[in-house]
Amino acid sequence: MSPRLRVLLLGLAALVLAPCALAVIAAMPEFGTAIAPYGARINAVAPAERNIANMVTAINFDLRGLDTLGEEFMLLAAVTGTVVLLRGRRGERDGDRAARLPGRAVVPRSEAVILACRIAGPLTALFGLYVTVHASLTPGGGFQGGAVLASACVLIYLGEGYAGWRRGVRSAVLDAIEGGGALLVVLCGLGPMLVGAAFMQNVLPFGTFGALLSGGLVLVANLGVAAAVTAGFSQLVLEFLEETRAPRPDGADGGDDA
Amino acid sequence: MPNWLVLATEALPAAALPAAALPPLPVALPLLVCALLLIGSRALPIWLPDLVAVLTALAVAALCATIAGRASAEGPLVTWFGGWTPRDGAALGIGFSADAASAGIATFAALLFTATLVFAWNFFDRTHGHFQILMLLFLAAMVGFCFTRDLFNLFVWFEVMSVTAFALTAYRLDDAAIAGAMTFTVTNSLAGILMLAGIGLLYARAGALDFADLAAAVARAGHDPVTAAAFCLVAAGLMIKAAVVPFQFWLADAHAVASSPVSVIFSGAMVAMGLFGLAKLVWVVFGGSAQIRDAVGVFMIAGGAVTALFGGWMALIQRHLKRLLAFSTISHAGIMLVGIGALSQGATAGLLLYVVGHGLVKGALFMVAGILLALRSSVDEIALRGRGRGLAGAGAALGLAGLLLGGLPVGLLDLGARALHGALEAGGHRLALAASLLGTAMTGAAVLRAGARIFLGWGGRPGNEGRAPTLEEQERGNRAYWVMFVPCGALLVLDLAAPTGALVAAAPGWTRSFTGRAALPGDAGALALGAAWMPAASVGLALFLAAFALFGDRVAPAAAAHIRRLHAGPAALLNASHSGLVGDDVVWIVLGLAVLALALAVV
Repeated sequence: MSPRLRVLLLGLAALVLAPCALAVIAAMPEFGTAIAPYGARINAVAPAERNIANMVTAINFDLRGLDTLGEEFMLLAAVTGTVVLLRGRRGERDGDRAARLPGRAVVPRSEAVILACRIAGPLTALFGLYVTVHASLTPGGGFQGGAVLASACVLIYLGEGYAGWRRGVRSAVLDAIEGGGALLVVLCGLGPMLVGAAFMQNVLPFGTFGALLSGGLVLVANLGVAAAVTAGFSQLVLEFLEETRAPRPDGADGGDDA
Repeated sequence: MPNWLVLATEALPAAALPAAALPPLPVALPLLVCALLLIGSRALPIWLPDLVAVLTALAVAALCATIAGRASAEGPLVTWFGGWTPRDGAALGIGFSADAASAGIATFAALLFTATLVFAWNFFDRTHGHFQILMLLFLAAMVGFCFTRDLFNLFVWFEVMSVTAFALTAYRLDDAAIAGAMTFTVTNSLAGILMLAGIGLLYARAGALDFADLAAAVARAGHDPVTAAAFCLVAAGLMIKAAVVPFQFWLADAHAVASSPVSVIFSGAMVAMGLFGLAKLVWVVFGGSAQIRDAVGVFMIAGGAVTALFGGWMALIQRHLKRLLAFSTISHAGIMLVGIGALSQGATAGLLLYVVGHGLVKGALFMVAGILLALRSSVDEIALRGRGRGLAGAGAALGLAGLLLGGLPVGLLDLGARALHGALEAGGHRLALAASLLGTAMTGAAVLRAGARIFLGWGGRPGNEGRAPTLEEQERGNRAYWVMFVPCGALLVLDLAAPTGALVAAAPGWTRSFTGRAALPGDAGALALGAAWMPAASVGLALFLAAFALFGDRVAPAAAAHIRRLHAGPAALLNASHSGLVGDDVVWIVLGLAVLALALAVV
């Protein structure tokens, strides 16, 4: 249909939908009304029964841990799907060697960049670990920590160059870490069933409220998620970087550094 | 509970587990295997992921069957994850509630995956098990979707299904596949967003996510714009998945370009999951609102009838076999939607049986299309004319499946159809009944026509389908014919060999447990099968339409030419309306949303 017809039809739909939306907004609970009862109950339960200070973590990894299991595997599906699609077009050959575009200049990096990356890389990784292991205490957790850890991994590319990055970051190793992290999360679910508890029941000691080792199984699940997210994101970066190396049909150069 | 089921399920080792331990297992098992396959993806020999995936899917089917058996005897198996049992009558965590019907649907999905993975043996050998990982995740998501009793968790599994499906659609990576996957991704992501917005609205009203708590809140709210809007958005999301007119534009593009094993799952199970989820929410969560029930009664009946006719007609004017089958899926989705709209126990039983029967038959049909793609390098009905000779088994399967699709009165699909007919007649929905019979006949006719052309070489002069869009494609012919044919035949045998008598006996109890309530006022609650003449009429009409398409030119040239001329304009317009442009699809989705909102506001 023509763009004009589209706009006309959308306008017609808006004639119906706008008054409906207004009616719904008018009937919504008032802005700023008390927290939903579900939230209030979780705020009471998590510190008292799990010694967890960070409510978001308590919800994501204990009370509603099944959602997180699903989301973890949604991420795994997204990464696997992306890898299949990107690699499918390029083919599997030369899997672990850095692709080179003929005729593209290798621009040396400034030593300042190398130094900055070598300092910032380990510090970023350390911060990622910090965010991960403090899941029960402060905002953050496996997903956030994993994203920070993956950033540290990308600093290898920035500091050591593409060839160095491909030497250091192996796709097969990333697969294994991602799968291993996901496996750990599933085992956090199945493990408690071996001792007769419910799936994902927090059977480990809860520790003291506010201590690093508090929250029991929550910490283990966070480590699993962090590993899976780190490797998954790094895998994505690796595949997308490799994609820029594939010769284009028109012969144009991607135009980035070595 | 039927005796055969007792015997079958007691033989399984899982039958000894406590009831609450069972429902998480068929979800956790494929996830566990996925993680292991990913760890070993480089080291494993290429045949191992295929074998592991088939065995896992089979184990999931066995677990789900065990759950179905236990639930049939003991009532729904309820699990609270993390041990968070409800307190003060309200849920704290997430629960699974596996009733017999839901577990039956999950069993069917797992069996379909098993057959598909056998069918696809060796097909995806280049990908380090990544295809098998995606398929198993897809299966785990479907089982979780069937069992969950938490609205947000339902959304999570819905999204896992979508994400795996996007990648599987684009797998072939030519321009058509990427375009189809793109449309699919945009429309179905929109479905996810709509659903999430609806869940947000309902949470704002109810302050809960568990189905039972939500149902209580919906019943308390009465005539309420917020609840109605929540239903409108959630239902629209699920109807996009279920490809109901006017939300259906993505489906033909996605199903036609996906690899045939993936299409089997899409048409056989994924579309049905949308309808299954919608039926569950209509009954279990929103059933207490008279406003929503009335709107469902109007929108789903009318929308389903239109979808049934539209899909059937579209199927008749296709020449690309997978596109033809995709439109027939739309038609059958419409028939199933009518089963939701009828809002009776009998119609729900019919819907559930129909989901399984249709999935088996449609899966077999897509496998025949896959066999043609692999061994004859085309699925264009006209280009393939007469070239199916030598594939007698595939031809027989296509013919039988076409007859079953058209209403041949044997097997599970027919049982579901007759239960739907009976319920529609009892509910006074005569127009919808006529539409579903016509839709059935037209899809059957389309398949029979294509089959006769491909395998018998009949019908030399194509009708208006000759001007439909088509696509040059082929699939790797590296698999033996029998490896592809055996799962295809097995699906048809499952449909034909289903113990209809035992199912008729068990269906009312299963349906009561699925809907979570006794029959609504004015519903006898019994399973009333429709008259025997109805399926006979539709299959007769299917044969007549197919014969007319093939031989009309020779028998009655003047009439055939006249009908063809009359039909050419609308057919071209309909095919052109499926432009494959994402913008158009989104406009249609918004229009559909407006119509549903209007139904909720006015009724």
